Amino acid sequence: MSDLRRILKVAARLRNERLVGVRLKVMLPILILFLPGLAWGFSDPSIVLPGGHQPDTAMEVLFYASLGVVFGATMCGVLMAFDGVSKDRASGMLEIRLAQPMPRQHQAAALVLGHAQAILIPVYTLLILTVVVVRFRMGEWPTLTEALVYGLSTGLIVLWYTLFALLASTTAKEQGTAIAFGVGVWFFFTFLWALVTTMVAYASGVAVGEPNDPTWVALEGMLDMLSPNGVYHHLLETQLPTVDRGIAAWQAWSAALLWTVLPWWALHRRMEALVP
Amino acid sequence: MADPLLTFDEVQHRHTVPAPKAWKPWAKRAGAGIHGISLSLYPGQVLGLVGPNGAGKTTLLRMMAGVLPIHSGTVTAPTEDRHSVAVEDLRTWAGHMPEQVRWQGAITVVDMLEQLSDMRGQGHHHLRGLLNLVGLHERAEEPLDNLSQGMRQRLSIAAALLGSPKVLLLDEPFNGLDPVAAEAFAALVRRLAGKGVSIVISSHMVTQLEGLIDRIALLHRGQLLDEGPLADVEKRLALDGRYQLTGPGELDDTAFLRHLDTDVLTTESNETSWSLMVRGDAERVLQACNDHGLSVASWAPVKPNLVEWLCAATGMSLDDISLDVASSAMVPMMAMEAMEDE
Repeated sequence: MSDLRRILKVAARLRNERLVGVRLKVMLPILILFLPGLAWGFSDPSIVLPGGHQPDTAMEVLFYASLGVVFGATMCGVLMAFDGVSKDRASGMLEIRLAQPMPRQHQAAALVLGHAQAILIPVYTLLILTVVVVRFRMGEWPTLTEALVYGLSTGLIVLWYTLFALLASTTAKEQGTAIAFGVGVWFFFTFLWALVTTMVAYASGVAVGEPNDPTWVALEGMLDMLSPNGVYHHLLETQLPTVDRGIAAWQAWSAALLWTVLPWWALHRRMEALVP
Repeated sequence: MADPLLTFDEVQHRHTVPAPKAWKPWAKRAGAGIHGISLSLYPGQVLGLVGPNGAGKTTLLRMMAGVLPIHSGTVTAPTEDRHSVAVEDLRTWAGHMPEQVRWQGAITVVDMLEQLSDMRGQGHHHLRGLLNLVGLHERAEEPLDNLSQGMRQRLSIAAALLGSPKVLLLDEPFNGLDPVAAEAFAALVRRLAGKGVSIVISSHMVTQLEGLIDRIALLHRGQLLDEGPLADVEKRLALDGRYQLTGPGELDDTAFLRHLDTDVLTTESNETSWSLMVRGDAERVLQACNDHGLSVASWAPVKPNLVEWLCAATGMSLDDISLDVASSAMVPMMAMEAMEDE
C-alpha cells in the first residue's frame, strides 16, 4: 500500500467516524442557519444593508453570506477537531496509534484530512444549497470562477481552524485545555481582531472606522493578512471588482499558502515530539 | 541458546520535565528515565520485567515499542551471516500492549482493528483469526463502549498482535483481569511464545509471572539491576534453595543445623508450633530435623517476592527502598536539550 493511499484510508475512517457522530448532528442546525440561512437573508431583493448598500450580484451575496462561514463553519471545525489527539491521549489509544509503523507525519496528515473532510462535507453540501438559494432569490448564478474561489477559500479557512484545533489538541494534556485553546483562537480572530485593528490604527494616527479614509482601508487590509478570517475575505474580494483594500490577489493567495503551510508544519513538529 | 532477536546496548531515555526560569518560563530539562540498559530478547522466550512503581518499566517498554525515542545506545538485530545491523524502526518489530487502554466509542471491535491494520498498511483478511485467538470472535461487531475490562484487555492484545510481530510487549497485562481471565491470558502468552514470538511482560507482581517467564529483568530507579534466566538470577542473588519448614512443639535452638553448611534465614517459635526458613540442601535439613527429634509437619520451597528480589539486588533494606518511587538520587541531572514534550 502506498503512503498516500494509507494516509487517505486512515483519514477516511476518521472522517466516517466523525460524520456519524452526535457532534455533527448537534452542529448541523447551526450550519444550516449560518450558511443557506444567511444567504436567504442577504439575497432578499428588498434588503438594504446598514451602509445603505444593496447587494446586486450573486458573488456579493455570497461574500456577505461568508459571515456564516466565519462564525459557523470555523467554529464547527474547531469543535470537530479539538479532541483529535487529546481524547486518544486520555484513553491510552494514542500510545497504540504511535506504536503503529506509520510515520508520525503521515499520521498527522491523516488527522488533518480526516477532520477537515468531516466538517467540509456538510459545509460544501450546504454551500451548494446556498448557491441554489441565491439563484432562487436573485435569478442569478455565480460564475464558475467565483464559485471555485468561494469553495476553495471556504475549504481553506475551515482547514486552518482545524489545524489550530489539532495543534491545541496535541499540546494540551486534557481536553478542557484543548477546547479552551481552540475556541480562544477562534474568538480572538473572529471577535477581537477588530479591536486589534482599531488599536493599531489609533496608535498609527489613522481615522478609526472611517470607511472612506484610504489610510484606514489600507491599514485594515494589511492587518487582515495577519488573521485567517481577514485572508479569507481578501480571497473572496479577489472576485469583487468594486472592492480594493490595497492587497493584490497574489498577495492574498500567498498569505493563504502561508496560513496553510505554517500550522501544518507546526503540527508535524508537534506530532514528531509527541509522547503518550 | 538461539541468537537474540534484538539486542539493546546501553540504551537510555530521559523524560523532559518543566524547569521554568524567570526569563524562559517554558524551559524544560532532562529528568528521570532509564539509563544504560543492556539486554537481549530471544525468540520463543518470555522475559519478565520486574520492578516497583516508578522503576521505569513502562518507559523501557515504550522505548522498545518505538513510541519513545532512544536518546543514546544502540539496538541491533542479527543478520543471517551472524553479523548485526542497527534497527531503524522498532515499530516494525514490536507489537505493544499499553497498560490501560480505555477503548471507547461507537465503532465496533472489528472496525477498530481494521483502522489499526490500515495504519500498518495491511489487509484485513487475518482479523477474524486474530479475534478467534484472543477469544473475541463473538464480540467482533460489539461497539467498544460495551466491552468489559477483560474484553478490552483482549482487544489490546489483539491490537498488539496485528502484523504478526516478532516481539510482543505487554505492560502490566494482568491488571483488571479476574483469575480465570488471567489464566487464559497466561495460556495465550505461552502459546505465542511457542510460536517463536519473543515476549516481554512487565509487572510489579512477581507471583503473577511465576511459571510464565523464562528470564527475568530486575529494574529499579531506571537501571537494570540484573537480568537472565530465572534460576541463574535467583542463584546470583542467593535467593535459590530456600525452604520453609513448620512443625508442632517448640524449637529451642538451631545449632544442630550449623554443621550442614545451611543458612538459617528466619526462625519463629512459640509453645505450640515452630517455623524455619533455611537455605541449603533440603534433604539434609530434613534428616537433621528428624535426628534432632523435631517433627516436621510441612516443607515447601520459598519463592522470592518483589521486595526480596529488590533487597537482594540492591543490597538495601526494605526501609531504604521504601516507597520512594520518583527519587532523583540515581539520576544524573545534567542539562540536556529538551527533545520532547511531556
